[in-house]
Amino acid sequence: MSNIDRRTLVRGSLATMMAGAAFSRAALAQSAEPILLGVSGPLTGPNAQYGAQWKQGFDLALDEIHAAGGINGRKLAYQFEDSQSDPRQSVAIAQKFVSDPRIVMELGDFSSPASMAASPIYQRGGLVQFGFTNSHPDFTKGGDFMWSTSVSQADEQPLLASYAVKRLGLKKLAVLHLNTDWGRTSRDHFVKAAKEYGAEVAVTEGYIAEERDFRSTLVRVRDASPDGLILISYYSDGALIARQARQVGLKQTICAASSVYSPKFLELGGEAVEDVHLGTRYFPEDPRPEVKKFIAGFKAKYNGQEPDAFNAYSYDAMNMAAAVLKIGGTDRRAIRDAFAKVKDVSSVIYGQATFDVESRRVKGAMNAELVVRKGQFALWDGKPT
Amino acid sequence: MSSWLDYTINGLIVGNVYALVAVGLALIFGVSRLINFAQGSIYLVGAYIGWVAVVRLHTPLPLTIIVVAAAAAVVGLIIERFGLRPLQNSVRIAPLLATIGISFVLDQLVMLTFSPNPRALPSQLPDVRFQLGGGTIGPLDLLIAGVGLTSALLLFVFLRYTKLGWAVRATAQDRDAAMQMGVDVNRVNQAVFGIAAALGGVSGMLVGMYYNQIDTAMSLQATLKGVVAEVVGGAGNVPGAVIGSLLLGLVESYGVAILGTSYRNLFAFLLLVVVLVLRPNGLFVSARQAPPEPLTGTFVAPSRPVHIPRLVLLVAVAGFALLPLFPVSFYVLQTLINAWLLGMLALSLTLVAGTMGQVSLGHAALLAIGAYTSALLSLTLAVPTGLAVIGGGLMSAALGTLLISPSFRLRGHYVSIATLAIGEIVSLVILNWESVTRGPIGISGIPPLSLFGYDLISPSSVYWFSLAVMVVLALLQGRLLSSHLGRSFRAIRDDDIAARAYGLSLNRYKSLAFIFGGFAAGISGGIAAHLYSYINHETFNTQQSILALTVVILGGLGNVVGAIAGSVALVGLPELFRIAAEYRILIYGIVLLLLVRFRPQGLLGTI
Repeated sequence: MSNIDRRTLVRGSLATMMAGAAFSRAALAQSAEPILLGVSGPLTGPNAQYGAQWKQGFDLALDEIHAAGGINGRKLAYQFEDSQSDPRQSVAIAQKFVSDPRIVMELGDFSSPASMAASPIYQRGGLVQFGFTNSHPDFTKGGDFMWSTSVSQADEQPLLASYAVKRLGLKKLAVLHLNTDWGRTSRDHFVKAAKEYGAEVAVTEGYIAEERDFRSTLVRVRDASPDGLILISYYSDGALIARQARQVGLKQTICAASSVYSPKFLELGGEAVEDVHLGTRYFPEDPRPEVKKFIAGFKAKYNGQEPDAFNAYSYDAMNMAAAVLKIGGTDRRAIRDAFAKVKDVSSVIYGQATFDVESRRVKGAMNAELVVRKGQFALWDGKPT
Repeated sequence: MSSWLDYTINGLIVGNVYALVAVGLALIFGVSRLINFAQGSIYLVGAYIGWVAVVRLHTPLPLTIIVVAAAAAVVGLIIERFGLRPLQNSVRIAPLLATIGISFVLDQLVMLTFSPNPRALPSQLPDVRFQLGGGTIGPLDLLIAGVGLTSALLLFVFLRYTKLGWAVRATAQDRDAAMQMGVDVNRVNQAVFGIAAALGGVSGMLVGMYYNQIDTAMSLQATLKGVVAEVVGGAGNVPGAVIGSLLLGLVESYGVAILGTSYRNLFAFLLLVVVLVLRPNGLFVSARQAPPEPLTGTFVAPSRPVHIPRLVLLVAVAGFALLPLFPVSFYVLQTLINAWLLGMLALSLTLVAGTMGQVSLGHAALLAIGAYTSALLSLTLAVPTGLAVIGGGLMSAALGTLLISPSFRLRGHYVSIATLAIGEIVSLVILNWESVTRGPIGISGIPPLSLFGYDLISPSSVYWFSLAVMVVLALLQGRLLSSHLGRSFRAIRDDDIAARAYGLSLNRYKSLAFIFGGFAAGISGGIAAHLYSYINHETFNTQQSILALTVVILGGLGNVVGAIAGSVALVGLPELFRIAAEYRILIYGIVLLLLVRFRPQGLLGTI
């Protein structure tokens, strides 16, 4: 490295000494002090709702982890720093975590600008950045300390396309997508897959996250005369589009990405989301034991509230972190190496999650084809709507 | 084509929704010449009070409306009494900043009380739909139109034909004269804030019912669109605000029709800029009317700047320069790097807004131009990053000045609104011009800074680099301010007519200020791009522009040292409040309000 001079060396050795002192203290208190994870995410600002959902999933997972004896006898805890999903704040948080010897691994951030701006700092500082909602195709290319359990859109969108085209028999599609890195990547994968399956994509419309009025967009959609609408949306905008589509008299089949899977989608959409089809990673009556445990535990902890996709992502992420720590211990490099070693971790999203060491992502998300019936998510019975 | 009828109807429907906010903004602007950035927050509060009434208390619709109106009016009165009245005799910019602080506080309070999750706000009207063109409208559309038009009409009658209404208009025209004529100015203000807040609250509730969805992020969007509609119609003109809103809705709808959904807001903000350039008083204010802004420099109050001895500054710079040699954590260094980067932006803005009097609310656009230029130069043309950053600065200076030049003939608040729109336009162009900017995917893998073949990777080296760049820019700016040029800038700010009479070419000097300011901001953006390695259209957003303006006002307009001190304070405070987690932005808002209240001329005073 060409940028090391004597001062940094002096300071570096000072830091090492301090870290050493901290380490011996930590060793003494090993059993008492919990292992600490850093979380960088939005608690205030426009994305605050997602940070709140993360916390719910984390806390539930922690309860279960502790009930099962913790990490080799030690407790696990997290320190949640609010970044507002702002890159300026996430880089400061990254330095904070990197220079805090108690933090063994980092989770987050939420948005791509905030996460990927912090990646170089985590990579150079040798602290794992475990992004569990980071679907940006370049996220894990930031370095070998970037790992992600976010479902790759290259995996998810062909499943949705198959549902819409092969199973529901839609031939001419209108795609409405959030104009973000996630929405754009998803749209491209979806359109490619839908064409391969023989459907025509008549129109694609990207909208910004703050958009609330879709009437004019829906006129464009109507004029393209599709037989199905594809929503690559989150639950709040997805519900708005479905409502307005029905209000302006569009009666076509609506098929939505798994990110709308939330009780809020039903609440916000009301009658308009009846018969909306969606692919998801799990569903309420899912017979898989890990899903049953997750849903039952979640309802018990949060007054009967139904969990949604973001709750599941964060729940899975905390369980994955625990599995990694059980192998890797508390050494930051060993933790990075442990990501390549964990096998078949029980997961709501994947069933069994194992990292692909090459891409540092997990492949093979579970898939369930749901439809909204009588205000509830139900497994699609194959009957046309 | 029947589609065009549908686009027209849809445009009118959404314009109808915008009108509710715009009318309240227009009313307040009409009386106190203040763009009330807290109006969107009152709208938010109204929506959540409506939710409590409908979902928890099961009140019938008429009662819900009364409850929401009354509660929102109380909020408005509190804002007027405790937030704005104490600032009556201070700088014109202080109330503007206070409303921004109040909106932070209100939004955070709502978020903390109700959680940030969106909620459904069911409509209490029967669900019948009437066929209109290719689509349908429901009773709620009619109710919203009814409320918008009736309130505009009632306000119009009130202002024209009642005693209190006359008092309101007299106060708007000349506050001191009205006071001498025995008008109780405070009572007038109270009445106006109460009415505007009641209207804002009810509109938030109705719009929430309309979309069956309320969330805490709705406030900023409502304010933005409301401000655009209001200014298009003619600031302070209540019927104009309604027509401006409908026009805005139509333009957006046709924009979607012609180019697609992602161009929608581009059309909205272009409409604003075009109207401001062609008819700066708005479409419906006659040209004969006296300009709504004062002619001379009351926008920025003169004050005696705090004198800081050169030795103290030297010691401070030396102290900060030596900091990385001490065992401070990288977190502290990174926070200070953020402060230096914000400091460069603040230097730029304090020159343009403070020294030149052009209060810009779209300054983040200059960061974005610098960042994208520098990132693309180094990635696609393999320009060394040091040179690329300078290229970013130059591009920002050139393009920024060019973009802003149509607004050179505007004054006061109108400059702020035009620059706000230009900032949004830049961000939307970045989003949509995919062949160059890679659109929403953004630019990743931007190489780190390097200088003469050495990579600046360690936090200390980036720290030293950004500190050095900022100090050089600050010294240059200090030199500029004490020169002939700086005096000409201030002359134009303080009295542009006198300056013109003296033979100063306004446009040329404004261009010079923006060229220098654009360069500093572009450099800051360029460094940020190489530091983050990934940028997209959201990296440099409106919040950055508002933060920069807050820094500048906090430090003292035009004050170079103040801009830097303000940056350190406003980057540092939220970090210090980290311990308060969800409450930190609330605390930040309160601190901001207290500062505006007790030191409106800024910490170090205006120069």
